[in-house]
Amino acid sequence: MAEIKLTAAPVLGTNLSIGTNTIQERDDLALVSIATPLDQDQDSQADLARALSAGWGLDLPAPTRASSAGDAHAIQTTADQMLLIFPHEGPDGNAVVQSKLDGAGYTTEQTDVWLVLEIAGPETLAALERLCPMDLRGVPDGTATRTVMEHMGALVLRHSAERFWLLTASSSAGSFLHAVEQSYRNVT
Amino acid sequence: MTQNSAQPGSKPQPNRLSHNGLIDQSRSLNFTWNGTQYQGHPGDTLASALLANGQRFVARSFKYHRPRGIFSAGPEEPSALVQLRSGAAQEPNTRATVAELFDGLTATSQNHRGSLEGDILALNDWLAPFLSAGFYYKTFMWPAAFWEKVYEPFIRASAGLGKLSMQADPDIYDHGYLHCDLLVIGAGPAGLIAALEAGRAGARVILADEDFRPGGRLNAETHAIDDAPGHAWATRAIAELASLDNVRLMTRTTVYGAFDHGVYGALERCTDHLPTSGGKPRQVLWRLYTKRALLCAGATERSIAFANNDRPGIMLAGAVRTYANRYGVTPGTRVAVLTNNDDGWRTAQDLQSAGVTVTALIDTRSGVSPPKNADRIETGCAVANTRGRRGLGQISLTNGAVIDADCLAVAGGWSPNVHLSSHQRGRPTWRDDIAAFVPGSELPQGMSVAGAANGTPTLAAAMAEAQTTTRALLQDLGHSATGADLPRASDEPASISAFWHVKAKGRAWVDLQNDVTAKDIYQSQKEAFRSVELLKRYTTLGMATDQGKTANVLGLAILAEAAGQTIPETGTTIFRPPYTPVPIGALAGRARGKDFRPYRLTPSHKWAEENGATFVETGPWMRAQWFARPGETGWRDSVDREVRMTRNSVGICDVTTLGKIDIQGRDAAEFLNHVYANGFAKLPVGKVRYGIMLREDGICYDDGTTARLSETHFVMTTTTVNAVAVFRNLEFARQCLWPDLDVHLISTTDGWAQYAVAGPNARALLSKVVDDLDLSNEAFPFMACTECTVFGGTPARLFRISFSGELAYEIAVPTRFGDSMIRALMEVGKEFDVTPYGTEALGVMRIEKGHFAGNELTGQTTAAMLGLGGMVSKKKDSIGLPLSQRSEMIRDDDLRLVGFHPVDKGIDLNAGAHFLTKGDPEDMAHDQGWMTSVAWSPELGHSIGLGFLKNGQNRMGETLRAFDPVRGKDTAVTVVSPHHIDPEGARQRG
Repeated sequence: MAEIKLTAAPVLGTNLSIGTNTIQERDDLALVSIATPLDQDQDSQADLARALSAGWGLDLPAPTRASSAGDAHAIQTTADQMLLIFPHEGPDGNAVVQSKLDGAGYTTEQTDVWLVLEIAGPETLAALERLCPMDLRGVPDGTATRTVMEHMGALVLRHSAERFWLLTASSSAGSFLHAVEQSYRNVT
Repeated sequence: MTQNSAQPGSKPQPNRLSHNGLIDQSRSLNFTWNGTQYQGHPGDTLASALLANGQRFVARSFKYHRPRGIFSAGPEEPSALVQLRSGAAQEPNTRATVAELFDGLTATSQNHRGSLEGDILALNDWLAPFLSAGFYYKTFMWPAAFWEKVYEPFIRASAGLGKLSMQADPDIYDHGYLHCDLLVIGAGPAGLIAALEAGRAGARVILADEDFRPGGRLNAETHAIDDAPGHAWATRAIAELASLDNVRLMTRTTVYGAFDHGVYGALERCTDHLPTSGGKPRQVLWRLYTKRALLCAGATERSIAFANNDRPGIMLAGAVRTYANRYGVTPGTRVAVLTNNDDGWRTAQDLQSAGVTVTALIDTRSGVSPPKNADRIETGCAVANTRGRRGLGQISLTNGAVIDADCLAVAGGWSPNVHLSSHQRGRPTWRDDIAAFVPGSELPQGMSVAGAANGTPTLAAAMAEAQTTTRALLQDLGHSATGADLPRASDEPASISAFWHVKAKGRAWVDLQNDVTAKDIYQSQKEAFRSVELLKRYTTLGMATDQGKTANVLGLAILAEAAGQTIPETGTTIFRPPYTPVPIGALAGRARGKDFRPYRLTPSHKWAEENGATFVETGPWMRAQWFARPGETGWRDSVDREVRMTRNSVGICDVTTLGKIDIQGRDAAEFLNHVYANGFAKLPVGKVRYGIMLREDGICYDDGTTARLSETHFVMTTTTVNAVAVFRNLEFARQCLWPDLDVHLISTTDGWAQYAVAGPNARALLSKVVDDLDLSNEAFPFMACTECTVFGGTPARLFRISFSGELAYEIAVPTRFGDSMIRALMEVGKEFDVTPYGTEALGVMRIEKGHFAGNELTGQTTAAMLGLGGMVSKKKDSIGLPLSQRSEMIRDDDLRLVGFHPVDKGIDLNAGAHFLTKGDPEDMAHDQGWMTSVAWSPELGHSIGLGFLKNGQNRMGETLRAFDPVRGKDTAVTVVSPHHIDPEGARQRG
């Protein structure tokens, strides 16, 4: 028997154009959650801040706002946890983060939990109005928020009025993509 | 009056006026009405086009099938309900007064048998003495045998107006969400002023108007603003608003409901004015999140009750002006006007200016001096009766005069559109000076009201009020108004003297849509249905599509009169959303067919499809139920084979759907020790433990395994269906019960593709998969776990756990490798004759093994009932422990999970059967328990069951009846151990 090697597949491999808008899966990113240890000596937050800065040039994120440096982003997801997104291929994102944090946080591999869709184009806000209950027009770039779209949990990151990342559960990615695609088709 | 000159090839429109109104008479639109082709113009509604073409008689009334015409010019229309379009797109009960005309529109009348003119159900009108209010309740009492067989079919056949096409709606619908600082509801003069003020100040504004042409009454009246026609000012205002980025102008959009916390519902009709929707949503249901809302919804005119006041040609006076001024149409050639207020005078004035003969102006008030805009002026009298077969011909006055008229414009006063202001149960208050209800003091959060909707009916006053109110709202919101002056306008005369009902012989109609007469209201009062809410239910006043917009206040006034009390003492019924009808399709939005809800797919889904899987919904997940192979004649063949092949060699099942929760922290072990009923504090690294979770009330709600990967790192597995509930409960425990513990949670359910590999050859198969790992029983025993790699370096996790009772493992790889992994597992398994198995075989094997599942976890199940009472540790505190130890929860003779075999092995068992001791009567007092799960066991060769039996653990070998009256079965069963196979667990430990 020939030696078997497992091959990685994107969640959907989406790369769509609808008018002048695009919907693309970003499978070149790693996602790792970082939980801050319940502090006993107040040092862990500072350790984490130093590690984020050294590793990815990122500040600690504030609630509802992503801390960004290029394609690396940190988003506060719960009171004690953030999601770190950074360009990386391969299933070892967690190990990469652990090596840089050196124990400053509890990490969990999240890359395969999520589908990351990059949506862009002039009708993007109009499409999102058909999908997302959050106010995405009236907020600054860099806003990151958890919400629900078409019954599916999601995380929205606004890069600009015409470019967003939508993160959602990889298992229901097909239904989510259909919802996003339909929204664009309904407004273009 | 001058009729318009027909364009080449077009038919004349006899009631079209020579002035253009606000329509484009240079272009014609063809439409058909009851099969006949007519023409109208861009800017027409179906109603205005029908009137232009002399079509007064357009509908049959609901109950008596009386001829009815067009009564209003807006959303309040009670009578002119029609069917639009044809085929699957046919839509019944549409108001002709708001249906925008387009080229090719097909419309038909409804609620008649035979033609509109020759409706045989017009017979009902002759039977009217027998059909008065409440006749259903009195007539259909006896004989009881007729209720279902005779009366109900008859009533159902008679009920309703239009007909559904019975085909799927061909259009699509959408939902959406919008946010603003200020929502202005209504783009009449008050709404436009408000939107301009707020828009210029930089606030985020949504201006919503149900009409396709904003402007409200400015489009219908001859008011001047800044010395120009009011509609021209409205056009300029709209242009300015359209130029502001912070203003969203939404026409054809009805705000239909005011909900909690400043949330409003709105229906936008996107393509109803077009021949086809072109694949785009026909309508969008918007949810509007607002900081403030200003209701500028205007007012609705009401009628006066007099005998035979429902004939086609009898209309609201304001509507007659709308048709004349906006649409360039006169509803009649000899028009009479009946009014109790100054506003009605303008109808005569506007019609006369347009060249229409006004045969009489009748004012119910004495001592007033209406302008001389009619052939005769009558004051201090009213219309007593009317004549005309299919439309109005004559009116007779209370002073005995008889006057020719083919249209009677009735001005009974204006009722502010308070509806949305009362959607959260705020009661409107009565104002005698305008004889109308106005919004009360309890408004929905963030709402203000201005203009006619607030009881400020005249133009200049309404605009001033809108400006003042908006400036106050802007200040609240932290915006500064620009201080622009109000445009110049004046206040028209608006004096009113309440006049409701001409008491004379003949039926006087109050609610045209429901055929409710003044007599019905008196009868309701006489029969003790005196509360206004009871009146509504007894007579149907104010029900159905128009919700009594033109009828309610008139009905209340007559009820008050009958009861000898004031109108405010009588009160109003509760206003509820929607303000106007919202199609079910719009409420459903995209949630139709396969898009009704999201689906979750495992990474092996595509592979499973390729391999003959039939899928089953488990919550949102789609799981393979079984894999059919050629030659198998039904699901049982496949399932039996999958069980046999697994027990004989090895099978693989996708268990990705099980909930996975990553738990980390210095105190994670202590945390788990609190949330599981059994002990977890001492679970060693590299081991998995089975655990049960109790609710606070001591009932067992979930079970699963948790693996310890390091001192501070655990991975919990939950059942598929309870993954969310468990996570939520853990978060609650972490944040609220033990906030001092260092514990952190995150779901990883979707991050791992996980496969159960079960059967005597499971170890042999996996030894070809995992890299450099000793899988021997000594090195990797039952309930061991480890992180490892597979197929030369792919990261993985391996757990030695078993749900089937076989030697079994669960192997997990990152989801991205899931599809590749199942293909690789099947490839290396070929030499062991590996089979994939689905949830049915999984179920069979767990029943054979005696594991409980969802069927047994009913929400009333204690650990003791499951035979796991001993697992509930009393040595530590855990959620549910105190209440799980209540005496009734742990009594020995309570229900216990046991197994069952049929005495006659050829008989199949059924879940749901109840156990009875032989000789006992078949009633609940002698109920001994019930069968929860059954399966046909390929291992044993007969049907087996699990079930709860009173004192079951002490009744092994006893024969009972499995009594199943639903299926008509009564089967003798023997009580056995729930562990039908391998009760010692030798296989899974081997």
